[in-house]
Amino acid sequence: MPSDLTFWVQTIINCLGLGSLLLLIAIGLNIIYGINRIVNLAHGSLYALGAYFGYTLVANGLNFFLALVVAPIMVLGIGLVVERSIIAPIRTRPMLYTLILTYGVSVLLDGLTKYFWGVQPRFISTPSFLSQTIHLGGIPYPFYRFFILIITFGVMAGLMFLLGKTKLGITMRAASNIPEMVSVLGINMNFVHVLVFGLGCGLAGIGGVIAGPLLTVYPMMGSEMLISCFIVLVIGGLGSLRGSVIAALLVGTVQTLGYVFITDYAMVVVYVMMAVILSFMPRGILGEGKFE
Amino acid sequence: MPRISWGRVMFLGVVLIVLFLLPWIVSNRFYLRLATEILIYGLLAMSLDVLLGYTGLLSFMHAVYMGIAAYTVGLYLKHVDPSASIWLLMVLGIGATVLIALPIGWLQVRTGGFAFALLTIAFGMMLYTIVWKARNLTGGDDGLIGIPSPNVNLSSLVLADCKDPTSIYFITLIVVILCFYLTRRIMRSPFGAVLESIRENEERASFVGIHVHRYKLWGWMLACALAGVSGVLFTIMKCSVSPTVMDPGAGGSVLMMALLGGLGTLWGPFLGAGVFIFAQDYISTMTEHWMIFLGIFVIILVLFVPKGIAGFRETLFRRKAE
Repeated sequence: MPSDLTFWVQTIINCLGLGSLLLLIAIGLNIIYGINRIVNLAHGSLYALGAYFGYTLVANGLNFFLALVVAPIMVLGIGLVVERSIIAPIRTRPMLYTLILTYGVSVLLDGLTKYFWGVQPRFISTPSFLSQTIHLGGIPYPFYRFFILIITFGVMAGLMFLLGKTKLGITMRAASNIPEMVSVLGINMNFVHVLVFGLGCGLAGIGGVIAGPLLTVYPMMGSEMLISCFIVLVIGGLGSLRGSVIAALLVGTVQTLGYVFITDYAMVVVYVMMAVILSFMPRGILGEGKFE
Repeated sequence: MPRISWGRVMFLGVVLIVLFLLPWIVSNRFYLRLATEILIYGLLAMSLDVLLGYTGLLSFMHAVYMGIAAYTVGLYLKHVDPSASIWLLMVLGIGATVLIALPIGWLQVRTGGFAFALLTIAFGMMLYTIVWKARNLTGGDDGLIGIPSPNVNLSSLVLADCKDPTSIYFITLIVVILCFYLTRRIMRSPFGAVLESIRENEERASFVGIHVHRYKLWGWMLACALAGVSGVLFTIMKCSVSPTVMDPGAGGSVLMMALLGGLGTLWGPFLGAGVFIFAQDYISTMTEHWMIFLGIFVIILVLFVPKGIAGFRETLFRRKAE
């Protein structure tokens, strides 16, 4: 075990970085489940699409920050198309079919991604001030990880504001509780569903663009991230936002430490941890269904 | 005693005759191999039907349980005893699968339907990763190749030489028919009814006094054991194993076969496996972007023909009634 301070500070920030990235993407998934009661297995593919779109935009000269805005909007568009045409019709059917359907969508999207971009890993180049190395008390650290933290923090703050203070957000929270009451009150639930799904997809897109420079853009990124996100959700409690925060930090930390010390089998440790947590707390740390 | 429908019996008879005479009907060795593969995957898909169609538990990575048995048998044949008898191999394969499936199943059945599906992904990925990364043991990406074929011996009587595709086909056919019949009997017993009641309404089943966790676990173990059988057959047929047998693609494929064929029937998945393997074979010769087709296929399937081939008549009736 290295006792080097540099090593530990860097590792801690790595943990935080990965944790916040996981949080960003898991939140999108959680929102869609919490309000729409849909498990979107295509979330990972949409995240990957965000990264690929970001790559294409930046490679064609668009400023990285602009790409950070445009790419998620593109992902949002695709997500909406998918939602309206494919997912909405089966809303009334048992959840099993939604699972399998979104699985099919994810396979389709992954296949299309491979078709258009090939299997070679891609790299998103970031503006120089983002990729610089900063020094904290003499310890060098790539600034980009901080950038991830900043963005995630900003997004979370925005979400909290949306859900807590705006009428739309309050409607969403109500819809996750008793949808029937919300529509009785005259609010168009379809509109809410579409909005929520779009929000979730947009978050996935942002996550993709941000993850691009960090993890490179490659075909399997969607599935890998999806699994980690689901682990975060299940540990934190489906539908619980606060649980996701805790769980994301936990999974990010364990995963990072795992990669540092065991490399190949890092994910196995994560799986075991999830199994242990689930066997004592099947509903997750903060319990299911509390959307706050 | 239920009335025997002679039409059904005759149909069954014809099917069996065709199956047994297949090596002589089909002249090309390739198609015989394909038929064997369809039988094996049909068995795997049927085991998933037991899990999903009867007990209502969704698993996205069911193929890993085939993989465990396949690797166990492969390793045993390669490193321990190349001339092991097929009975021993069966016991080994099923035993290994059951051993690993038991603790995983015990953990998994305590969770609800959706969390269960996620856990199958997580544990499945875990097993897949372990097998994939343990290069020293399993050969990693390349897998195990050059596995010797065992002989089928009944005491001292040599029944078949496994290097011959025809005998492999027959062994597979007999084992599969046996498994099918056994599973059918089990599913038609009160045990099967309990599983179906859990699928329909878990809460209500527990109110009636059914110990839901325990029965789910039994359903899971049965499904995994059958998957183990298919794994043993797989290694014997292919004489090689690779991680692709149990990767997420394989897990998804099995699910598709079961869905396509029709859940809750036990025989539907065999049809599903047949169509799927044919299609995959055909499409992969045309393009490497089979994923696009698979995705579209699944979407159309769930949207329009959710009950699969076996339930096609039912779907048709429902459409007419609307």
